[in-house]
Amino acid sequence: MTSRSGASPRLLLRRLAAARRAAATGSADRTPTPGRGGPPPLGAERRSGGSGGSPPRTNTARDLLTLHVMQRSRRFLGPAAGLLTALLLVLLLQGNGFVSTLVVDMLVYAIVAMALDFLGGYAGLISLGQAGFLGVGAYGVAIAEVHFFSPWAAVGIALAVTLGLGLALGIVAVRVKGVSFVIITLAMGQVLWGLSYQWVGLSEGDNGITVSVLPTIGPIDLNDPLTLRMTVLVVFALVALLLVTFTKSPFGLSLRGVRSNEARLAALGYRTGLHRYLAWIIAVFFTGVAGVLYVFVNQLISPTTMDFSANGLFVIMAVLGGLGSIWGPALGAVVIVLFQQELSIYVSRWQTLMGLTLIAVVLLSPGGFWGLLRAAGRRWDAAIARRQRDLETAP
Amino acid sequence: MPEFIAQTLNGLTLAGIIFLVSSGFTLVFGVMRVTNLSHGAVYLVGGYIGYSVIGATHNFFSGLAAGALAMAAFGYLLERTLISWLGRSEMAELLATLGLIYVLDDLALAIWGGSPVTINLPGFLGKSSTLPGGIVYPNGRVFILIVAAAVAAGLYYLLRRTRIGAILRAGVDDRDMVSALGINVRRVFAFVFSLGALLAGFAGVLGGTVLGLYTGGDSDILLFALAVVIVGGLGSYEGAVVGSVVIGLIDNYGTAYFPAVAYSVLFIPVIAILLVRPHGLFGRAGT
Repeated sequence: MTSRSGASPRLLLRRLAAARRAAATGSADRTPTPGRGGPPPLGAERRSGGSGGSPPRTNTARDLLTLHVMQRSRRFLGPAAGLLTALLLVLLLQGNGFVSTLVVDMLVYAIVAMALDFLGGYAGLISLGQAGFLGVGAYGVAIAEVHFFSPWAAVGIALAVTLGLGLALGIVAVRVKGVSFVIITLAMGQVLWGLSYQWVGLSEGDNGITVSVLPTIGPIDLNDPLTLRMTVLVVFALVALLLVTFTKSPFGLSLRGVRSNEARLAALGYRTGLHRYLAWIIAVFFTGVAGVLYVFVNQLISPTTMDFSANGLFVIMAVLGGLGSIWGPALGAVVIVLFQQELSIYVSRWQTLMGLTLIAVVLLSPGGFWGLLRAAGRRWDAAIARRQRDLETAP
Repeated sequence: MPEFIAQTLNGLTLAGIIFLVSSGFTLVFGVMRVTNLSHGAVYLVGGYIGYSVIGATHNFFSGLAAGALAMAAFGYLLERTLISWLGRSEMAELLATLGLIYVLDDLALAIWGGSPVTINLPGFLGKSSTLPGGIVYPNGRVFILIVAAAVAAGLYYLLRRTRIGAILRAGVDDRDMVSALGINVRRVFAFVFSLGALLAGFAGVLGGTVLGLYTGGDSDILLFALAVVIVGGLGSYEGAVVGSVVIGLIDNYGTAYFPAVAYSVLFIPVIAILLVRPHGLFGRAGT
């Protein structure tokens, strides 16, 4: 969030009351009615007020109210949008049709995109091998179930394997950054794909592995489609909140410091390598979690889930949505799933469109969709600040 | 033993194709600091164009020239538009070329379809001969090996013995100084990028004869090129030569002797090198 205009709402209310009292001595019918609607046409009001010869103080009262409404709505827009989205998601997940499948896909992919953003947008390490770790989580469950482990044990094994692999590969990966990191993670992702494709004895190769038994805990039975979808939503929300909390924590702040000026952070005594390593572990682990969800939702895992194209798609989600915002990449996942599932029905060359969209975003709006929203927010802040300045300089 | 020698020759043939691709990739990175992820897609499209031209003219060499030159022109256009618009931001260029992969792959799929094609070598090159030691070996692979070695020698001459090479090597070391010396860096960049794409397109037609051309072939070859630059070091010519031979041989032995993990044994030298020298055998820190 960028800094908002200074005056607190309480101060404004006091000023508003004072202005109202002053206005009451003038024309009473101009007293504004309090409401939450859109801002009244202020410019027109001011012009008519000027020509009509009514005291300027009346306009000030209305201006103050407008300003107040603008500030309030600016403050509540985010939470309101979030609440609405949550409500919408819960509603959309109720049905058994195509829409709920689409939304579950979006949520699973969004977890990966957000994890990728934590690593890419905050630590500056863009991983082009993330689908590989999604595959590790998913194959972990599937292979463990093939070997007669209970579903819960399979989940534990999958997460442990993902974590172990992340710990091991991280030692190699975070030794480099920037372009080299992208290349090395791409190589890792391709190797994981190669294993899933060629190590037929373990992965059953091209055919993939089906998973039909899902875990049950107490009254929560993931074999029930609705329960499974709600579980995905809850896990998504938990991961999102955790990641947002991480980014706002001192750890998240020092990660950004590592990205923008590693030498300085190192000179200040930060263990920058350890920071990158931790960010990597977090991203890999959450991607593994998404992999577990993926295999439960699709009940199938095959090499195409983790091929080069899939690796690229996650990066595209994060970049289209906007690196460094956590929510942006979730939005990117929504857009890409719509591209894949909806647009592909009408346009056979949807991949071309997607590639061109990515190029356009990189060229024109490096902050992605979320960057556009942020820019709109900043314009709003500027408008609020401008009004405040006008009011303060007004007689 | 003859089997092992044949496998070694196969590995060297693969190394030759990988070298043609990775030398362009590493040259572009070294001079321009551009990571062209669509390099593999350029290879594939070049191969397809060669395939179509060979189909139309029934002449392998015109197809080879067409694939290479078409991709050189494409590389020139790409550098003059997208790459220069992006204003030398490493990560933005990488991401834009990632988007370009999807565009090129999709268009290739639309034009040439999804079924794999193989380019046939003409006449003598399409036959096999008996090498000393009694090994029967395809002439086409020997041809690829010779061509790749010739290109490697030509590149070496260009980089080490000519004025252009001196400018390119200076560009790798200090780009700002090169432009301060009054050299038109824009022209240098356009030249390097076209040269990289030319090599990729050329390799695509040659690779089409032994590896075939198929959807996803671009990411396979891109991984080879990336493994080469990790082993050899980003931006290093010597690294591309050594890395190509290492990766080509390892991949081929892997495919021959450990088929279940062939794709992954590639990663063993990559990890070993990274642990000892994070920037590759010939690479420098800061790239």
